[in-house]
Amino acid sequence: MLNYSNVIENDKSYPGLQMREIKPVMKLIIRGKKRQFLSAVGKSLNLLLPNEANTSSRSDQLTALWLSPDEWMIFSNEILKSDDNNYDVEKLLNKNICKTNLGAVTDVTDQFVLINLKGDKIFDLFETGSPFNFNDFKSKKGLVTQTILTKIDIIVHNQDINDVNLFVRRSFSDHLFSWMNDSASRL
Amino acid sequence: MFLINCPFCGEREQSEFKAGGEAHIVRPKQPTELSDDQWAEYLFMRKNIKGIQFERWNHIHGCRKWFNMVRDTSNDEIKAVYKMGEKPPVK
Amino acid sequence: MTKNLRVKSSKLVDETYRISFKFNGTTYYGFKGDTLASALLANNIHLVGRSFKYHRPRGIMTAGSEEPNAIVQLHNGTSRTEPNVRATEIEIYEGLDASSQNCWPSVKFDIGGINNFLSPLLPAGFYYKTFMWPASFWEKYEYFIRKSAGLGKSPDVPDPDIYEHKYIHCDVLVIGAGISGIIAAKTAAKNGFKTLLVEEKSYLGGSTIYQDSEFFKINNQNSASWLEKEINEIKKIENLEIKTRTSVAAFHGYNFLLARENLTDHLPLEQRENKTRQRLLKIRAKKVITATGSIERPLIFDNNDRPGILLSSAIKKYADLFGVACGERNILFTNNDNAYETAMSLIQKGIKVQAIIDNREEIDSKLIKETEKNNIKIYKGYTIVDTFGYKRINSVSIMKLSKDGQKVIGSKENISCDSLGVSGGWTPAVHLFTQSGGKLKFRDDDQVFIPNTYPSNQISIGSCNGDFTLDEILINGPKLLKEFLKIKKTEYENIEIYSAFNKSKRNIWLLPSNKIVGKTKSFVDFQNDATAKDIKLALREGFRSIEHVKRYTTTGMGTDQGKLGNIHALGIISETASSKMGELGTTTFRPPYTPLTFGTIVGRNVGKYFDIIRKTPIHKWHVENKAEFENVGQWKRAWYYPQNGENMHEAVQRESKAARDSAGILDASTLGKIDIQGTDASEFLNRVYTNAWSKLEIGKCRYGLMLNEDGMVYDDGVTTRLDENHYIMTTTTGGAATVLGKLEDYLQTEWPELDVYLTSVTDHYATISVCGPNSKKIIQKVIPEIDLSDKDFPHMSFKNSKIGKVKCRIMRISFTGEQSYEINIQANYAKSVWENCMEAGKEFNITPYGTETMHLLRAEKGFIIAGQDTDATMTPIDLQMDWIVSKKKFDFIGKRSLYRSDTIREDRKQLVGLITDNPEEILEEGAQIVADMNKTPIEMLGHVTSSYFSPNLKKSIALGVVKGGKNMMGQKLIIPMEKKQINVTVTDPVFLDKENKRLNA
Repeated sequence: MLNYSNVIENDKSYPGLQMREIKPVMKLIIRGKKRQFLSAVGKSLNLLLPNEANTSSRSDQLTALWLSPDEWMIFSNEILKSDDNNYDVEKLLNKNICKTNLGAVTDVTDQFVLINLKGDKIFDLFETGSPFNFNDFKSKKGLVTQTILTKIDIIVHNQDINDVNLFVRRSFSDHLFSWMNDSASRL
Repeated sequence: MFLINCPFCGEREQSEFKAGGEAHIVRPKQPTELSDDQWAEYLFMRKNIKGIQFERWNHIHGCRKWFNMVRDTSNDEIKAVYKMGEKPPVK
Repeated sequence: MTKNLRVKSSKLVDETYRISFKFNGTTYYGFKGDTLASALLANNIHLVGRSFKYHRPRGIMTAGSEEPNAIVQLHNGTSRTEPNVRATEIEIYEGLDASSQNCWPSVKFDIGGINNFLSPLLPAGFYYKTFMWPASFWEKYEYFIRKSAGLGKSPDVPDPDIYEHKYIHCDVLVIGAGISGIIAAKTAAKNGFKTLLVEEKSYLGGSTIYQDSEFFKINNQNSASWLEKEINEIKKIENLEIKTRTSVAAFHGYNFLLARENLTDHLPLEQRENKTRQRLLKIRAKKVITATGSIERPLIFDNNDRPGILLSSAIKKYADLFGVACGERNILFTNNDNAYETAMSLIQKGIKVQAIIDNREEIDSKLIKETEKNNIKIYKGYTIVDTFGYKRINSVSIMKLSKDGQKVIGSKENISCDSLGVSGGWTPAVHLFTQSGGKLKFRDDDQVFIPNTYPSNQISIGSCNGDFTLDEILINGPKLLKEFLKIKKTEYENIEIYSAFNKSKRNIWLLPSNKIVGKTKSFVDFQNDATAKDIKLALREGFRSIEHVKRYTTTGMGTDQGKLGNIHALGIISETASSKMGELGTTTFRPPYTPLTFGTIVGRNVGKYFDIIRKTPIHKWHVENKAEFENVGQWKRAWYYPQNGENMHEAVQRESKAARDSAGILDASTLGKIDIQGTDASEFLNRVYTNAWSKLEIGKCRYGLMLNEDGMVYDDGVTTRLDENHYIMTTTTGGAATVLGKLEDYLQTEWPELDVYLTSVTDHYATISVCGPNSKKIIQKVIPEIDLSDKDFPHMSFKNSKIGKVKCRIMRISFTGEQSYEINIQANYAKSVWENCMEAGKEFNITPYGTETMHLLRAEKGFIIAGQDTDATMTPIDLQMDWIVSKKKFDFIGKRSLYRSDTIREDRKQLVGLITDNPEEILEEGAQIVADMNKTPIEMLGHVTSSYFSPNLKKSIALGVVKGGKNMMGQKLIIPMEKKQINVTVTDPVFLDKENKRLNA
């Protein structure tokens, strides 16, 4: 049995802002350009990939984020077991997408750390280090953006009002989380 | 600091992008058939115009897609952005 | 000396709240709301500093950010010390400690004041002219010049304060909260625009907020009362954010602006702990309305710089806003009606106005008539020709102006005073507008530069647009706003305005004197001591361009950037050179408009947030086991693991030996990893690597070199074929991002027809490398079910496996030349796997090693490090790696360049091994390599790229690049060092196990 050691150890809470890592959550990057790719993914997962830029879609089990015209991230809505990294969804997509040469499926479960933020100060925090204009973004549920926060690449998913998923590459996550806590302490 | 309209993601700050030099320089299909001078022309020679310039840009901190831009270097006005493979919309 | 010059209750100052502060060591008192300047003036202190060049006594001159003289050092000798703070801007707080700058031993007696008497010897360009010769003496001169120059002292201990950045996106940004800014902000916000109003002062309303007299009315109310109501209204508007103490420093293209928000500078020091001191606002506005107002012009006459001489508008402001009299016997000197407004304010407060000297002959506004009723002597058509008083003005000499204003006539008359207010009309504050790329035009009527063409979605309104009077502001402003905001009407349509003011002005840039110009000190730039005489000298010496005159005379080059006098410099130049002002242009206004602290500029990017830190999934283990870390790009990598007080050399020797004798373990997680999928994946690899990939079997690994299109090596790594259309590529640690970027570039732009997808998995997989003769046994213990037999799992192949239920990949590849396995596993399990390996390897003395040992081991084997043994000038042929360049492939990136006339030269620098004659001698990396010490100049053949003492070979080894090195095997070369020469022999770069016995063992 292997121990599971994620980066962010403690949930953090400030007035108007709570931050915690959600783990383990399966994350896949799926790539494809063909029309059949979209329909094969849709059929396999019972989830339509968002076609429109900067948006997301969601089923009971999965959420899909638009990342670029031929790239999406899919993540599991539920928390998985930490002693097993074999995912049925990945296997299914490998069979229906990769083996049929429709596109690519890559496991990025630990490539990204998922930090969930809740509260009405989320965007005040982002404004201290991100050039992205969150004015309209924050009030529209389901929007997605890739941008930078204190020079680090992030993916922001506006899951719900005052409820945001932030994805950051694992190697940067300790630094970013420390920076976020520093900034949050003065909001 | 420009405000760049990524053809895929929409309007974003310049800090999300990386500039990639002159646009519409096509890699020769048969490099071995080129003389040293012809190869050097492709490899090294770039324009640096005061005025309308065609440039490659990459939305490196966003969708990671390359696209082209028409920019007036004399006042930094971005005249147009367009996808790779598309014809420039302005002369 | 100490007197109380407070007058009646004022607008801003709270006289129930007394504050003590120190100036030059003495304690004084002021009130809440005072600036340092107003508090000093209330204590009858004018003399606050010495000028830059002549060390002339200087006093407070203005009441705003344009102040050239009253710049002080705060909290000298402490961590919070700050130089060049304008006394006119800093609000006093309990415990404020300010001192004068640029004077020694004190502001009252300054040794440097001797420069004032030597001034005939210190003309414009003095430093340029004097210290040019002889050139070799510059270093000696510099020491003395630097000692005598400089304004204030920079802190020499770390700044204890916290600074932050904040991005703001708004529909409309309004800069300046004077009457125009208030109107603009209210109009924008009420029409649904998300609006931000920024104001550099602590209060809103600009100068109208204390324009409290019968002479200026809006809708039958005093203009001040009317504006106060407007301000109360805008404070309630929801989509309007107001930020005071916030000054815009820079206005860039695309309506991107930088502003500094001051949050704690007005608080006592003990209230500042754990608070953000200043915030740099990075504002992106769809529309910008500049309402920065205007700056009153001084007048240029002999000795116009004495303490006690202020702008007339500043005297009014100190009286009205702060309740402070700048003097008890005031004289006002003007070329327009503004001084009369000041006079009326002073009279109403019971402050004596001795006389008004007006250089206009015929004047008749209601305001002037009203002033005359107060028995004030008005000298019409007169000018001041000189002033007296060393540390404080005590009298002026006046003379009648000729009709054309070119000279003075009649006899001199002296008038005594203790304060002189000067008013030369107004200069629109167009600095931000021009920073944004806006072009100015010159308005001849009143001799002002005003905005002409706008480069972005912006307008200027109010006096920064040349609308100086109440009626202009309230009629033109709303009209411009309607058009700019595309709205039908404003609430200011039928407004009634009454103004007793008349716009007439008699503009004379340099007022005539009874002395010749060469004998006068008529200051144009007060901070840098540039006089009218200096400008004229520059013109005589042939300078014509305003930019050249500026630099030669240093006009406008101080911390105030010439906000007061630049316009006069232009005027004097155009008059002297008989050119037109409009054609002359202005000097370039560069950001910042007012100085920014370094703290604000860098924000939180200090200390541990200075640069991004990346950590591997096993980082904690390295910390717990006392590793020393090395920065590799942004990564923290374990460098070596010292034991029992070992130094680096000792630790590395031990680690290297253990790795070859038994087993070593390395965290290689930082290597870049790219997942490559698609039906054209093999073809893609063929095009990006120099060697062939199509025939690589599934399950096998291959080393590849990547070139730039110019044929030079820029990255290398092992790529593994996981499936028919699926590869995983590794890159160097530092090259990961650029390699992915470059590959994406080719895919998207040159070869969009290829069906290939690239996804970074660098952070997803941790890589644990176990090497050494016992590595197989250790891996077997960690993953019992895997078949590690050489037949089933040879060098350069891979297997999928599982540890528990966790899938992983095992690769048999080696960067050390030893038998070696890499476990690639999902990052969150990596620390646990590493610990399993340590446990399993205990019986084999498994030794964790860091990057330094890794480098040593690979050097023994002659493996290159891209970026250390290569720079951007090495081809694979130069590296003696001809074997990796496919001759058969039609094309790959960089191929054509390998046949350029330059790349096929025989005498290019080539990678070789170097063995020192003395096996104990370790070469220095970067040391030069030569063949002949007697040749002059000595010819450098190359340099050492890697050098170590090999514990396994028990001798010093090195790699280096040497011109024509390939054909120099066995040849003796010399490494000249500072105190010795080291003799070396050129060898093959592979020092150990050429036959690969260890790899395949």
